[in-house]
Amino acid sequence: MNRMMRASAMTRRLLTRKGALFSLIFLAAITGAAAFADLLSLDPLSQDLVNALEKPSAAHWFGTDELGRDIMARAVYGARTSLLTAAGAVGIAAMVGIPIGLVAGFFGGWRDAVLMRAVDVLLALPGILFAMAMIAVLGRSQTAALIAVGVTGIPSFARVTRAQVLALRKRDFVTAVEAFGGTSTYNMFRTILPNAWSPILVQVVVLASVAILLEAALAFLGVGIPPPTPSWGEMLRTGKSFLYEAPYYAVLPGLVLTLTILSFDSLGRSLTWLLEDRHELVELNVERAKP
Amino acid sequence: MIGYVLRRITQLLPVLLIASLGIWAMIYAVPGGPIGVIVGENATQEQIDAATRQFGLDRPVLVQYGAWLKNALVGDLGVSIHSREPVLDLIAQRLPATIQLAIASTLVALLLGIPIAITSALFPDSWLDRALSGWSALALGVPTFWLGILLILLFAVELRWLPSASGYVPFWESPIQMMRNIALPALTLGVYVSGILARFLRASLVGELQADYVRTARSKGLRERDIIGRHVLRNALLPFVTIVGLMMANFIGGTVVTEAVFTYPGLGRLLITAISTRDYPLIQGCILVILVIYVAINMTVDVLYAYIDPRIEYA
Repeated sequence: MNRMMRASAMTRRLLTRKGALFSLIFLAAITGAAAFADLLSLDPLSQDLVNALEKPSAAHWFGTDELGRDIMARAVYGARTSLLTAAGAVGIAAMVGIPIGLVAGFFGGWRDAVLMRAVDVLLALPGILFAMAMIAVLGRSQTAALIAVGVTGIPSFARVTRAQVLALRKRDFVTAVEAFGGTSTYNMFRTILPNAWSPILVQVVVLASVAILLEAALAFLGVGIPPPTPSWGEMLRTGKSFLYEAPYYAVLPGLVLTLTILSFDSLGRSLTWLLEDRHELVELNVERAKP
Repeated sequence: MIGYVLRRITQLLPVLLIASLGIWAMIYAVPGGPIGVIVGENATQEQIDAATRQFGLDRPVLVQYGAWLKNALVGDLGVSIHSREPVLDLIAQRLPATIQLAIASTLVALLLGIPIAITSALFPDSWLDRALSGWSALALGVPTFWLGILLILLFAVELRWLPSASGYVPFWESPIQMMRNIALPALTLGVYVSGILARFLRASLVGELQADYVRTARSKGLRERDIIGRHVLRNALLPFVTIVGLMMANFIGGTVVTEAVFTYPGLGRLLITAISTRDYPLIQGCILVILVIYVAINMTVDVLYAYIDPRIEYA
């Protein structure tokens, strides 16, 4: 069975799970809205002080904020901020974490000890505090938030990849490549990695959820992406000051944030279930660092 | 046993040392470096020279780190740039509030999580089990700060039963005021932790309930309540202790966020204020104290685990 057919068979099995189906539909909708926000004639920045803190209406579905800006428009552009930060952060974590896990698992010995101890140091502080410390040094910016969230994800990728490599290291096809004189680099990236993708993919989904939450939490604490960039966490932070006048201000963006996180969580659980079913799971060290 | 404890400590030392090096180096990575932090951006050359001599910044960096570490070990974490008060005093003022919040939310989590786990495990795969698993998924997935806002809206804005901002009232001063103030933060954090508790304890209980000794206990006519309470729960709690250790990271992170939601005057809020005012000695102090607490709890959990499970070898 070729890879395409296998992937489509997997997808079909995944879609039989109601939770996964709903999650995928919701995530597709939110990604679509974020990607094509410019076509939706929504303006997240134009102020209208006369109509500040208005209730949800036909003109403003989510109401308006303290500067009269459309909350729905800000939630849609906030989705763009959130999803882009999450994608970038997971990318950083994967690009650093996966090679660490590959080398540590493949060579073992002192390389394993040194690399994994280094990863342990990243876990010496709870994720959100590590991110806050990094932002304290880098200053508050979009790049700082991206790096801070990304670095906290490195340990999970390193550990999951290492566990996969350890399970595959002594398999015949790996030994065969070695016997034919394949270099270690070739063996790690072309032989082992393609066979280790599934648990790493689950990790991508799990970490996407963690990254979105962490970015929002940092913004909520006032140390994330600085305003006026719309971000869900920042909206919750400001909305909290207007709970008596405009309860929907904090509630509606929070609902979008929560549904996004729950969708990624549910998708992650479904993927885990699929892999467990196929006995592809070696050791899924699903770490959740939730603020 | 003592050997095991000592070995765990020696394993943790390098991690602690590197982490402390990182915390110390923070101030050197800041634009302007430590001098800029001390004298500000518009300082004259004389002020810079004076501060350099006064704080010993002309010494080799390793000597500077050694001096910083030596001071930190005896509790001297420097002076806050903003309030000019010793960092340790500021932290000591806030720590009791955070500890009180941690205890209260742990209680909430246990009260919610253990009954949910037992009910789920007794009727695996029933509609009740599915409903309760759904609750755990929600408790874990819903961001703490949004849940906190929803609780404020319900109990403070709509019903007006509880204050929307929580102050710190020590339990021994006024238990009732303390309960009123801590109820919402403790519930917010407790619900989240109960989700972790319920999920892992359920898994552990389901495994135990299939063990032979449970069948034996049932066949000799023991009451189900005694089987669960006296046998199963005790054994199921064993793997659970490790989860408590893993949970601590989330718990401490959750405390910082929860304190922000309820403007509760704990360590987390102190750290956030320090970051926004760029008060680096205070930032370093807060993070160092949290690091030590975190490592100490993990250490205690490890030792506790070895102590209650005689099968663990600590030779």
